[in-house]
Amino acid sequence: MNATPLLDIRDLRKVFTTRKGWPIPKVTHVKALDGVSFTVGRGEVVGVVGESGCGKSTVARVALRLMEADGGSVGFDGADVLEASRLDMRGLRRRMQMVFQDPASSLDGRQRIVDALGEPLKVHGLADRSTVRDEVARLLDEVGLPRSALDRYPHEFSGGQRQRIGIARALALKPDLIFADEPVSALDVSVQAQILELLRRIRAEHNLAFVFISHDLGVVRFFCDRVVVMYLGRVVEVGPVPEIFVEPLHPYTRLLKISSPEPDPAVAVAMTFQDGEPPSPTAPPPGCHFHPRCPGATERCRTEKPELRTLGEARSVACHHPL
Amino acid sequence: MTATPPPLVVEGLTTSIRLDGRLHHVVRDISFEIRAEETLALVGESGCGKSMTALSVTGLLPPIASVTSGRILVEGVDMVAASEKTREDLRGDRIGMIFQEPMTSLNPVLPIGFQVGEALMRHHGLSKKAARERARELLELVRVPAAAERLDAYPHQFSGGMRQRVMIALALACRPSVLIADEPTTALDVTIQAQVLALVADLQKREGLAVLLITHNLGVVASVADRVMVMYGGDVVESAPVKAFFDRPTHPYSQALLAAMPRIEGDGQLKPIPGQVPPLTEMPSGCRFQSRCPLRQEICDRLPEMTPVGGDPEHKVRCWARSE
Repeated sequence: MNATPLLDIRDLRKVFTTRKGWPIPKVTHVKALDGVSFTVGRGEVVGVVGESGCGKSTVARVALRLMEADGGSVGFDGADVLEASRLDMRGLRRRMQMVFQDPASSLDGRQRIVDALGEPLKVHGLADRSTVRDEVARLLDEVGLPRSALDRYPHEFSGGQRQRIGIARALALKPDLIFADEPVSALDVSVQAQILELLRRIRAEHNLAFVFISHDLGVVRFFCDRVVVMYLGRVVEVGPVPEIFVEPLHPYTRLLKISSPEPDPAVAVAMTFQDGEPPSPTAPPPGCHFHPRCPGATERCRTEKPELRTLGEARSVACHHPL
Repeated sequence: MTATPPPLVVEGLTTSIRLDGRLHHVVRDISFEIRAEETLALVGESGCGKSMTALSVTGLLPPIASVTSGRILVEGVDMVAASEKTREDLRGDRIGMIFQEPMTSLNPVLPIGFQVGEALMRHHGLSKKAARERARELLELVRVPAAAERLDAYPHQFSGGMRQRVMIALALACRPSVLIADEPTTALDVTIQAQVLALVADLQKREGLAVLLITHNLGVVASVADRVMVMYGGDVVESAPVKAFFDRPTHPYSQALLAAMPRIEGDGQLKPIPGQVPPLTEMPSGCRFQSRCPLRQEICDRLPEMTPVGGDPEHKVRCWARSE
């Protein structure tokens, strides 16, 4: 890994406040990000995994300043993203792009593809009126769509094709880093494999770095170099693929792995009754957030928060009693 | 096994949709039976006809679709020939159903206890009080914690996993012999999915249920199914006991599907299936997978029969290239 990472997220915090109830509203605070730190090297693909509500999508949104952080810092190629001025932010946004799960909801239904993809090119001065069509056609070609797609509207495409358009749009500004939030989760297996192959190819061709948010360990195993596992707003384990799945250090990583069904009756999912659900993020348990579901929890886990510490080469875990 | 007929028998089911005045088959001539305590998984991708099969069996097809031929026998009663009244009596009583998103099946303004007990009042004539008592037992059966206190709670007060448990309680209220589960765990996190699958397997044994599991997830199939039927474009292309299927997937589509699935174990490689499913109005005649098939030959314009492979009468495949 390089000495200075491309993306350096340190102790990132985000608290959501909700008011609910009548006549006296009850205010609740949710620590969506409770001191999250990790880095992404140039050209590196880092997977962020965890279950609903663990804060994995919030990381991307806060790092891109689609919402403001409540603490911590985000470094991008030496620049401080959270302190950047509007003008600086414009330059940074060009280099950090996002791909969403459902491109249909992030594309304007009444905008032709040439306009949807051409607009950022013109805004950032990468194309003008005379060159924009060719430039967009080149982008479409790169993601495997025909030139005839230029003048069509988003609804005329299938889910897989729309995701190709979403990827083309993220590529348009020649970014260094793409945040991809569950980009293949809504797709059928055969189409999902096509999109994953496409992502792998463009990654290699452009030396792109990714923060790849997913709940699917199989997909992460295929595409990512390293994995960050999150649980209720905290990072519980970081490690390289496939080691982190072969020999997980955190009991939660292990639970995720044994719960993920593999297409092989010999490694059928462990359906032991591991009862208990993730606790509500509004009232996380004290100490280690995972202790109520952990088979190896001790008194210490109930009271003392485990810090993320390095264990061996390139691996770290936040657990008092790693596996 | 005794001589009692299987709880669910489907014979030559064809379901069609009328589009622009023309009839298009979304399920073509499929047959299967499910014995008590057995789980049959129907797998395939969007538009393969798996959900249409489930809706045909439950008699809940949307207005544009209808069963155009075949028989669906639930405990020996033909759902297709039966009157709507008979179908209503069977549905919820002899056939239980759970769907992907419990929030869309549960009524948001009625308490859980009432919804679970409602079927018992409708089908078995239980009093309100008796139904409530039985609802509590059912919620305990599906392991909703503090069931007695939660009878008066509303669906939005439950998590996704708990809601699916409530749906299961509701589906099993009248002690049906058939359970139709259409993507029951797709919306759930993996750890919760494992819990719900374990719960269904446990209840299935206890109640002797015949389960029709509709899923796109071959991992789920490997974990819980006894037999598999792979569908593509409305046709069953392969049918096999679960072990035989994963040991020797034979239809080119089954093989391609397995090769396209990213796995945690394994070498980190995958092979996409080129192209996409043709729209219903542009389906090729004969084998519908031919437009994406690496083994395509001239004869594929004619639809092959289901043929046993590898000397196993239980393992059948619909493919000219794979027929021996």
